[in-house]
Amino acid sequence: MKRREQAIRPFATRGRGTIAAILVMFALVSATSVTLSIRATERSRNRAAVVQVAARQRTLAERYVQEVLLTRDGDAADPAALATVLRDSAHALLDGGTAPAVNGDDDDMALSPATGAVLRAQLEQERRLVTDLTATGSAWLAHRPVGAVPQTASENVTVAIPIQRLRVLAALTSNVSLNATRTIAASTDHNINNLIMLQIGLGIAAVLTSLLLAGALIVATRRQTAYFRSLVTSSTDLVLVFGAGGCRYASESVLAMVGRSEKDLLGSGFVELVHTDDRAAVTSAFAQGGVHKIAFLMTNRFGEWRHLDAHVTDLRGDRQIRGVVFNARDVTERVQLEEELSHQAFHDGLTGLANRSLFHDRLDQALVRSTRTRAPLAVLLVDLDRFKQVNDGLGHGSGDRLLQQLAQRFGRVTRSDDTLARLGGDEFAVLLDGATEAEAAAIAHRYLEQLAEPVSISGRDLVLDASIGIAVHSGGPGTSEELIRRADVAMYVAKRSGGARSEVFRPDMALEVGELLGLEQDLRKGLQRGEFTVHYQPEVDLTTRAVVGVEALVRWQSPTRGMVMPDQFIPVAEATDLIVPLGEFVLREACRQTVQWRRAGLVPDDFVTWVNLSGKQLTKGGVSTVVRETLEVSGLPARYLGLEVTETALAVEGSAGDRARAELEEVHALGVRIAIDDFGTGFSSLDQLRRFPIDVIKVDRSFIQGMEHDAKNATITGNVASLAHALGLVALAEGVETAAQLASARELGCDLAQGYLFTRPAPAAEISELLATAHDTERAAQPEQIAGATRP
Amino acid sequence: MRRSSGTDRRLSRARVRPLAAVALALCLLVGCSSGHATAGSGGTVARVTERDFHISVSPARVSAGRVVLTVHNRGPENHELIVVRLRHGALPLRADGITVDEKALKRSTIGGLEPGAAGETRELRVTLTPGRYELFCNMSGHYLGGMHAELTVS
Repeated sequence: MKRREQAIRPFATRGRGTIAAILVMFALVSATSVTLSIRATERSRNRAAVVQVAARQRTLAERYVQEVLLTRDGDAADPAALATVLRDSAHALLDGGTAPAVNGDDDDMALSPATGAVLRAQLEQERRLVTDLTATGSAWLAHRPVGAVPQTASENVTVAIPIQRLRVLAALTSNVSLNATRTIAASTDHNINNLIMLQIGLGIAAVLTSLLLAGALIVATRRQTAYFRSLVTSSTDLVLVFGAGGCRYASESVLAMVGRSEKDLLGSGFVELVHTDDRAAVTSAFAQGGVHKIAFLMTNRFGEWRHLDAHVTDLRGDRQIRGVVFNARDVTERVQLEEELSHQAFHDGLTGLANRSLFHDRLDQALVRSTRTRAPLAVLLVDLDRFKQVNDGLGHGSGDRLLQQLAQRFGRVTRSDDTLARLGGDEFAVLLDGATEAEAAAIAHRYLEQLAEPVSISGRDLVLDASIGIAVHSGGPGTSEELIRRADVAMYVAKRSGGARSEVFRPDMALEVGELLGLEQDLRKGLQRGEFTVHYQPEVDLTTRAVVGVEALVRWQSPTRGMVMPDQFIPVAEATDLIVPLGEFVLREACRQTVQWRRAGLVPDDFVTWVNLSGKQLTKGGVSTVVRETLEVSGLPARYLGLEVTETALAVEGSAGDRARAELEEVHALGVRIAIDDFGTGFSSLDQLRRFPIDVIKVDRSFIQGMEHDAKNATITGNVASLAHALGLVALAEGVETAAQLASARELGCDLAQGYLFTRPAPAAEISELLATAHDTERAAQPEQIAGATRP
Repeated sequence: MRRSSGTDRRLSRARVRPLAAVALALCLLVGCSSGHATAGSGGTVARVTERDFHISVSPARVSAGRVVLTVHNRGPENHELIVVRLRHGALPLRADGITVDEKALKRSTIGGLEPGAAGETRELRVTLTPGRYELFCNMSGHYLGGMHAELTVS
């Protein structure tokens, strides 16, 4: 399996090696064959001479007998010369040498020694017979008795007549020569056969080996082809080859993708699957091959449009391909992802509406059109009223669901040509292309109507209102920023007017709003310049009439604005987080002042200074640390400090709410008192009152002040007081302004009260005086005078 | 493999020898029997030895009936073997004065083996009645050269 680990060798290398092996083998076989043939030819040339001489012996033996006879008859003949030729030839045939020529009939012939036991035995016999023949012949010619000539060849010729004896010997010689010739011929035959067989064997071996190598080559080629084919086919890339007649090849992946057979795709079949808009581009790409990259749409087997990216390579010059190759890839997922990302970039993730960028883009486009057509358009800015309370009170999850539901409702009343967008938070915007002021107002009205029906969130039915600002562009040039700013101003005005309404932008609004925007700047500067002071409003024990504490209230003496009321700047401070440094300032100042009072001995021992804690401060975290540090720095014992928290701030859900409650408990553990401010106006549960470490419940001024007109308020106040007592808490009536209210509050069970009836909030110096007086009168046991003395 | 063959056949046989070798291999595989394995299957055996230029037969006297002549040619020449019943003394010669006139002996010829190469052993099966028989080689000059022997059947 080593081979598998090797890198795939290019086909050419492998094939070249095999072909070289085949050629080398054929060369070897041919060389062997030629060598064998040459040697066989040389051998047979020698044999031909041998055969010729051997055959000649036969004739010469007969001729010898004739010449002996002729000589005996007196005719001219030379048997002795013939006898020499016969003997020399016999000798040469057996042991090699030169066979002499016969009377110029032929040439001297060089012979190599005879090989083979049979042949040699025959030739030896022949030589003996030739000896006996010639000896007999010469004996007869010499008139010697032929019977005395020794018979060396084991013949036993009993014939006495010399001529007959000679003839028998000649016949024997002739016969043995013939047989020797046959043996030579047979051995030549045998050699030729062997040679043929050897050649055939070599040829067969060469052919078989070639076949084997060729087979191996074919197998290797097939394997390599299969390897590359599977590379092409198993690849998810789509490979297509186009020729003059259209598609010439389509890879498996293409067939799998479109669910057709190759036959269906060849020719013009493929192009028919391409989207009509892209057909021309695809056709020209494979016709010209000049394009390097092309993107097109085509249907797959399910009839879906798929995005394909193709690399086009012109291989018409390549003799193997002769076409334009498309290497395409299905990029639909990527395209969809890109589209999704671009959708995400231009849409709000929560509601699916257009986002700020897309809204601006659409608005810019609409303005460009308007510049050209002078058609009007309008922008609506929709801001939900009190959404923050929902978010803080029920948690962000509920707030998100609320926004989603509202987005759906708004979507229902948005015309298809208009763009509804969520700009962020609880702010929506609508682009009304071609809308006049009247139409815009009508649509704004429809949006407000959608809010009339309660939205069910977390088991609660919530009714929300919205403030809508409308900015109308009458046609012609304009900027989106300006239009949105105008709608924003109008929305601001609608909100400030109490919300649940729409306002169309008027130029004079801008001044008003600009004023508000300037306020924030001044607030920031004021904080730096120390323009804020703390005023205090006493809290009175309804039984003893003693001042048992004060509520610290921030005041802003602006050098440019004069005295600014808290209801004017606190919302701005809360909206901008300036409330945090502001709150800390009040806390520090109140603690410092209280310590001063205590040192002066102006306050009773159980006197508590109350500081308001904004919901924002709580959710931001770090309140306990700030309080602890402030107490330490000022040296005020914790039990002389109280913190007022609204119900809503306590009810915040989620981790921020948990942390805020934990911090309050921590502070409470130090000894700091906790009061629930404006009780009855926000979200709160009795369970929370029970579980949470509260010391005082402050009944909202709306109940106290409404007692005179509506008995229900008195009932609520009474119940709250009972509730407070039941939980071991103290009930405080806020905003007591009249003696009747005071009487009722006392009657209904409130323990403490604060309000104009007793004292307005006043600077520390005034309170010091008051406390000094009270301190004195307390000694005189005349608490009633306090109220009377400080009544405005 | 047949042992009897004419001279022309022997030439052609040499050509087909490779094929014959394959045939022999097949023959051996299927258990083909070779010539002298059948000797002794019936009749008296007489060993005939031929050489240049002499024939001997042993025993020289056999009983009448089936006779198997195992003829061994010791060479070096090729030799044939002809068996004739002797009637009146010497065998008649052809006009050439060298070879026996086989035509004249046609009626008394019992059997014969074509010329065989040196080293071969062949069998000649004959049925002999009592009498004298001449065994000889009639290749040119061989008879007169001494190649004849007598077998007596009783």
